[in-house]
Amino acid sequence: MGMSNSTAPLIEIRGLTFYRGDRAIFDNVDLDVARGKVTVIMGPSGTGKTTLLRLIGGQLRPDAGTICIDGQEVTTLSRRALYQLRKRMGMLFQSGALLTDITVHENVAFPLREHTKLSESMIRNLVLMKLEAVGLRGARDLMPSELSGGMARRVAMARAIALDPMMIMYDEPFTGQDPISMGVLVSLIRKLNDAMGLTSIVVSHDVAEATAIADHIYLISDGKVVEHGSPEQLKQSASPWVAQFLNGEPDGPVPFHFAAGNYLDDLLTEKRDVK
Amino acid sequence: MLNKVQQLGRSTISSLERLGRGHLFFLQLLTALPTVLLRFPLLTQQLFSIGVLSFLIIFVSGLFVGMVLGLQGYNTLIDFGAEESLGVMVALSLVRELGPVVTALLFAGRAGSALTAEIGLMKATEQLSGMEMMAVDPIKRIVAPRFWAGVISMPLLAAIFSAIGVIGGYIVGVGLLGIDAGAFWSQMQPRVDLGEDILNGVIKSIVFGVVVSWIAVYEGYDATPTSEGVSRATTRTVVHSALAVLGLDFMLTALMFGE
Repeated sequence: MGMSNSTAPLIEIRGLTFYRGDRAIFDNVDLDVARGKVTVIMGPSGTGKTTLLRLIGGQLRPDAGTICIDGQEVTTLSRRALYQLRKRMGMLFQSGALLTDITVHENVAFPLREHTKLSESMIRNLVLMKLEAVGLRGARDLMPSELSGGMARRVAMARAIALDPMMIMYDEPFTGQDPISMGVLVSLIRKLNDAMGLTSIVVSHDVAEATAIADHIYLISDGKVVEHGSPEQLKQSASPWVAQFLNGEPDGPVPFHFAAGNYLDDLLTEKRDVK
Repeated sequence: MLNKVQQLGRSTISSLERLGRGHLFFLQLLTALPTVLLRFPLLTQQLFSIGVLSFLIIFVSGLFVGMVLGLQGYNTLIDFGAEESLGVMVALSLVRELGPVVTALLFAGRAGSALTAEIGLMKATEQLSGMEMMAVDPIKRIVAPRFWAGVISMPLLAAIFSAIGVIGGYIVGVGLLGIDAGAFWSQMQPRVDLGEDILNGVIKSIVFGVVVSWIAVYEGYDATPTSEGVSRATTRTVVHSALAVLGLDFMLTALMFGE
């Protein structure tokens, strides 16, 4: 692992700009992810948080700006170099993205089989160790369709750490979880990060869970970083938008109503809207 | 008016783009052949689910098509006192036309639609994306083995279809209608030519195999990742495959037998 300058951020994003059609998803965004820490990216739905992870993973190319990971510029990497870099990144998709036609054991073994020439017994032991870390060693013979949503995500975690990556990215890990599996996921993200010396990026809009594990939080809205800092710093923030988001107030700087014309006029006009 | 022109232009450009992407994709499938051969277990697994599992429908359809050919052929040939030529007629119809064409249509319905749905759903559930993030190329790992399994299976299935069809014709012609078995086979022997008839049929089935498999995997890979998108892609696979097979069949027939 590249421990050359361990104080420099693992990921440095500068001037990131990304358009989808005419809409700017990111507009000149600067963002740092510190080594060994849990960095949480928060923001309303549809602000491109998942897009950010795809940009970091090199699945999308930005329209402008740089994304530097451990000294390597992702945006200009060749395909081969990008694939080499991805072996050192884990990513957890919202759905888990497990391969549905093979067992839990084979899913975790998948990256090992694809990228290493380890013996069968070695792979078995590694898989069991990774599954034990997420508490699912006993579920190794189940098929993904037999798992609950939370279990599927834990299996996906085990798979993401199979190659002992330097970093791991979580896309909305808490969405749609019951309180118990939510608690399990929260403590797992923290534990894995600290025990394995990982760097974690969590994309989420679950304020309570995200602030509980975050070392540093970035709040993104309308393509810009609105605020960033430690959870405590954010709670002290003077911005009414930040307060509305963190406290989940229905009305405030972000209005309850989607932009529309005069209500009364709308009701009184007979004419149908012609597209 | 101007809007309509704009729309026409936009849809033309987008379908041309799709066509272009499809051809680049085809190129990637071709260049993935060495990887597919190196990872032989992946290929055999797909040969099983695409080829072997299509065997039953091919077997039954071939038998019935051959039996119908036997009945219809007998009714026509007997007017000319040529019912002894039934074997030749059945064999030539099957080997030249019905074998490759009907097999390709059935293959598109049975295996092609399944391929599209499988790949489309893998895309919709982020499995392909997940693989990319694990530094595994989904085209090499998932798509190419399926494509090549389709290309290999198709001519074999067409050959089985034709062979079973001839037996179907034999059952009806000889067993039911009382044609002499010796005449049935002996007329077939000199008049079905290896190069002219069988080889051309095999070429057809290889072409159909490539086209149907290509359409199926591309529609899946390019599908909109929603349940509606996957269902539309599956429909498109069957429709486009059928049209492509019938159109190409005319062209190939014109080239092979058209002089």
